[in-house]
Amino acid sequence: MPFLEQVNLQFAHRVGILGLSVLLMLVVLELMRRGWLKEKYALVWLATAGASVLVGIFPHVIVAAANTFHFQYLTVLFTVYFFFTLGLIMSFTVAISRLAERNRELTQELALLAHSVDKLERRLESGS
Amino acid sequence: MPRVLIIIPAYNEQETIAAVLASLREHAPDYDVVVIDDGSRDNTQSIARGAGAEVIRLPVNLGIGGAVQTGFKYAWRDGYDVAVQCDADGQHPVAQIPELVERLLRGDADLVIGSRYVANTTYIPSFFRRLGKSILSRVVDFFIGGGITDTTSGFRAVNRRALSVLARHYPEDYPEAEALVILHRSGLKAIEIPVQMFSRQGGESSIGAPHAVYYMAKVVLAILIDMFRKFTRTPGDE
Repeated sequence: MPFLEQVNLQFAHRVGILGLSVLLMLVVLELMRRGWLKEKYALVWLATAGASVLVGIFPHVIVAAANTFHFQYLTVLFTVYFFFTLGLIMSFTVAISRLAERNRELTQELALLAHSVDKLERRLESGS
Repeated sequence: MPRVLIIIPAYNEQETIAAVLASLREHAPDYDVVVIDDGSRDNTQSIARGAGAEVIRLPVNLGIGGAVQTGFKYAWRDGYDVAVQCDADGQHPVAQIPELVERLLRGDADLVIGSRYVANTTYIPSFFRRLGKSILSRVVDFFIGGGITDTTSGFRAVNRRALSVLARHYPEDYPEAEALVILHRSGLKAIEIPVQMFSRQGGESSIGAPHAVYYMAKVVLAILIDMFRKFTRTPGDE
């Protein structure tokens, strides 16, 4: 039963997870302070950091899952993070697609508007 | 007298645009012309303006779909009865634009395509273009129920009913084949007539061999999804 040997997360791992989570929170807060990150995205990141902190403090969930599936707990941890990241990237490509769509419509409207302004100016010049 | 607008999408076409505009003045003097300059980095805009054409300049490059759709929006809002799409590189037979328009004005179709394959044309595309286009034609044929052989021809005329759809829904790149499916899904009808295409007079073709696979996959996927989408029309008079 090699998997049951690691009943608890090693202390160093817990400290590492906690440290990285706190660092992530600080980075997100700083990005928000500078106005580089919209609140709706910042919330996702803060929730991520919060969940990591909880894993650091209460590792039992991860250990229980690891024992259930006969995985190493690190494998469980990375699997969770991997799928979470996948979901995050998916939501980004959706957001980018929507931005591209808006960008196209705005570009077209701007060009049409510039053209009608140009037309009006020409009419004014030839009229006077 | 129906009002007709000829839409010429142009991206870095300074070599050929003047000749195309001159040819238009000779062969289609009754029709208005608008050049959609798709963010060109050469002198396309000033040459077209110098030749007396209306020019709509896109501040950034949107690609062929975004450029042509700008023309459709302009035609729709300005109340044109017919919009004709024609390339700036001199491959499309400008002299046959009146044939497209007259065929459209008979009223039994909403889109008339100038086809390279219908009858005697000397047009010979490269191997990859031929392969891609023949597969694509079969896919489009399957979904819209046949009748169109040259699904990728960008030499075409549409009426206001088609404009009301295309001003709202038009694909971004390689738009021609998918546009047929969109119109079909909107209950509109397309037909084609034979035209004589020319080989390029200058500039570079936008479809090379490496893009063929991407092109195929993208358009086929888009068409499959289109079969499950709803397309709305722009509100207003058709």
